[in-house]
Amino acid sequence: MKNLLGVALGILAAIGGFVDIGDLVFNVQAGATFGYRLLWVVPVGVVGIIVYSEMCGRVAAVAERSVFDAIRERLGFSVGLGALVASQIVNFMTLAAEVGGLAIALQLLAGLEFHLLAAVAVLALGVVIWVLPFEWIERLFGYMGLCLLVFAVAAIKLHPDWSAVAEGFVPRTPPSDVLVYGYFVVGLLGAALTPYEVYFYSSGGIEEGWTPKDLGLNRANAIIGYALGGFLSLALMITAGALFLPNGIDPELLGTVALGAEVPLGTVGLVLALIGITFAVGGAAIDTCFSGAYNLAQFFGWEWGKNRPPATAPRFTIAWIVLLILALLVTMTGIDPVMLTEYAVIFSVVALPLTYLPLLLVANDRAYMGQHTNGRVANAFGFVYFVVILVVALTAIPLMVLTNQGQG
Amino acid sequence: MNRRREIDLGLGILDHQLVDVGGRRCGKVDDLELEGVADGPPTVSAILCGPPAWQGRGRLGRLAARLARGRLVRVPWTEVEEVKAGVELRRTARELRLGAGDERARSLIEWIPGAGG
Amino acid sequence: MRLSDLLGVPVRTEDGESLGHVHDLRAELSARSLRVTGLVVGKVGLLERLGIGAPQSELRLSSHDVVPWSAVVRADRRGVLVRPGTEPA
Repeated sequence: MKNLLGVALGILAAIGGFVDIGDLVFNVQAGATFGYRLLWVVPVGVVGIIVYSEMCGRVAAVAERSVFDAIRERLGFSVGLGALVASQIVNFMTLAAEVGGLAIALQLLAGLEFHLLAAVAVLALGVVIWVLPFEWIERLFGYMGLCLLVFAVAAIKLHPDWSAVAEGFVPRTPPSDVLVYGYFVVGLLGAALTPYEVYFYSSGGIEEGWTPKDLGLNRANAIIGYALGGFLSLALMITAGALFLPNGIDPELLGTVALGAEVPLGTVGLVLALIGITFAVGGAAIDTCFSGAYNLAQFFGWEWGKNRPPATAPRFTIAWIVLLILALLVTMTGIDPVMLTEYAVIFSVVALPLTYLPLLLVANDRAYMGQHTNGRVANAFGFVYFVVILVVALTAIPLMVLTNQGQG
Repeated sequence: MNRRREIDLGLGILDHQLVDVGGRRCGKVDDLELEGVADGPPTVSAILCGPPAWQGRGRLGRLAARLARGRLVRVPWTEVEEVKAGVELRRTARELRLGAGDERARSLIEWIPGAGG
Repeated sequence: MRLSDLLGVPVRTEDGESLGHVHDLRAELSARSLRVTGLVVGKVGLLERLGIGAPQSELRLSSHDVVPWSAVVRADRRGVLVRPGTEPA
């Protein structure tokens, strides 16, 4: 019984933690631009993240290696260092976007001055990380992130054309701009398949000392958690499709996103949406920040870990602190977090193959995995998704340039 | 370490994690020193660690070796206890002069309340 | 000499036949020492560099063969020379 409760709690935290600023921006903009016609991309993305998270969790449990350990071991120093630099750049862009989004959400809630709030927000994140045990952090941000379920309620209350919604789950060629459609497909997949998620998940698995015995449980956790989290993405897109598209609203601001909950549900909806955004984005900021520190430490072989006294992993600790401070500085320049998010997601997509290839290789290697190498199902999905990732990685930047970031 | 077993140097040892006798992570195997290549089967005489060891590790390795600060640390192979997921050593990192970066960095944060360690 | 000096260098027989490149060094690990017993030789193209085709992998493109060290005449940064008629096994 206790186990079941633990799993349920873990799943709840995963749902609330699934959505980050990339998902917020792309799902809402996709809905506002193409209505329900891109809904099919969300389950595709969710299955992809499930496949790769399961793989990296298994590698962590069996081979006792994180993704970046595997990257350096399999691809060598030079290629590994290239991957490290690329992932740090992309990671940092994402972190800065999350911090910026957090500051805006807080500003909408509290109405104080932006720069002050940004500094307070980052300081609060730092203190939370320093003081709270990690499980508590995941729970705090995960549960409060569940406030985003208000968008599911909003979507229903907006009375969308449910048959059109159902049709959205079947991919169809769009009547209008194919390139913009393609851009959103790429962006939605990028927002779902975030690399930092994979680095973070695998590092967490090693910290918690997962063994092959834990595989079943964690597999269930990942599958259910991510699937239900994808449900939130769907809610965001449906809400946007039902409210923004017909009214010609272009959700370029986070405040507009929150409108999606305010119009059907009033002030309660607005507040819940903003709280949900605050904690989802704040939690994602923490994950991203640690992801950057993990990658550095794991490439160079430094001591690392969040569940230990900070002074026992000094360079790792300094790394995440510095990342937070730098993200704050970027946010203070007043750069638009939504625009930064779009760049971050697109650039993440380009870096995806370098993240997932070593994972696929190690998961198939008997020397690392013993009897737990990929089965036929995992490999089938792993390969298909790798091809998808390659295509998406190659087309991401051209599409972004050609469509002027989805503006057409 | 009980029995003999076959292992591939590049795949099984190079770039793997170094772990000291206390379980502390203290760097990666950046290169291996080989002895006796000219006359008879070579043996691995030492593990090489640190930016100067990155010289032979490809183009980015050379660049990184030039940019990074740090000394070459040579760990004689006799210091190795076992080779598993990582390379496990017989003594502490401090005794072997590994993980010096962490030693230096510690003073930057240990003054903060709650830093522990 | 360092391991990195030998990885990736071309392998030729004294007759001039090319056997590929050094993919890895096979060794015997014992309580006392780590002794090189042979060279893992094969193609070292882009895919191999990416780890596709490692000996223990379920994903193997080309086969990898081991040349015992007894067949090696000379080995250095420029390449490895092996006795004529050596066939990797």
